[in-house]
Amino acid sequence: MTTGSNEPKSRYLQYLEIVTGSLEEKKRYRQYKARIKQLPENYRIAVEALERYLMHFGPADGAGAMAMYDDLAELFEQGAADGTPIRDIFGADPVEFVEAFMANYPLGQYRTRERNRFTSAIERAAGENTTTKDRTD
Amino acid sequence: MGKLVTEMLKGTLEGIVLAILSGRPAYGYEITAWLREQGFSDIAEGTIYALLVRIEQRGLVDVEKVPSEKGPPRKVYSLNDQGREYLEEFWRTWSFLADRLEQLRKGGK
Repeated sequence: MTTGSNEPKSRYLQYLEIVTGSLEEKKRYRQYKARIKQLPENYRIAVEALERYLMHFGPADGAGAMAMYDDLAELFEQGAADGTPIRDIFGADPVEFVEAFMANYPLGQYRTRERNRFTSAIERAAGENTTTKDRTD
Repeated sequence: MGKLVTEMLKGTLEGIVLAILSGRPAYGYEITAWLREQGFSDIAEGTIYALLVRIEQRGLVDVEKVPSEKGPPRKVYSLNDQGREYLEEFWRTWSFLADRLEQLRKGGK
């Protein structure tokens, strides 16, 4: 689900991206925003509310976040094309939906980092000899 | 549908969807529609979509993009060998659970 070229980056681009963050990701994010803008108004409003939640609790940035935004756009484009009512997409409890959705993109989530840290700390405290640390980040 | 069934479904929805796909390939909307027909009226389409993303990530299904008349191409999901294996394990676990619960209900142990 990751896109982007595998060509090596020029040294200039490598240095530039240290300052700016990944340019490829910025481009993908802009493309995502453009897709959302095309949606009918009520879908757009719902997606923007969802984004706000994801900004707080979802993956901060990077490949995990980009895959998530692509999938999000696809879900709502499909919903809008089928005329699926907003409530049918979100269900009675929208939080339940967003949590199930977000769980698919653990990369870059502070919750994932803290969960791994917590798990390793308990393993150490329990005296278990383990090498499983930081499994997903 | 009450809160209880929603809670109970959480652990089984994945198996249910894989079982549906073992019959024939389907896209997300068809799966949701089928579940609604069967009385699972509270299931959000978004929840099913999230589940499909997950089983795709875990390699339990193959995905084919099929052009559609309106909107983006549809993803059609079909169960692959790994998915079939997982589904068998799901049914084994389900039988175990159902059996133990039935014994509890009968007052046995």
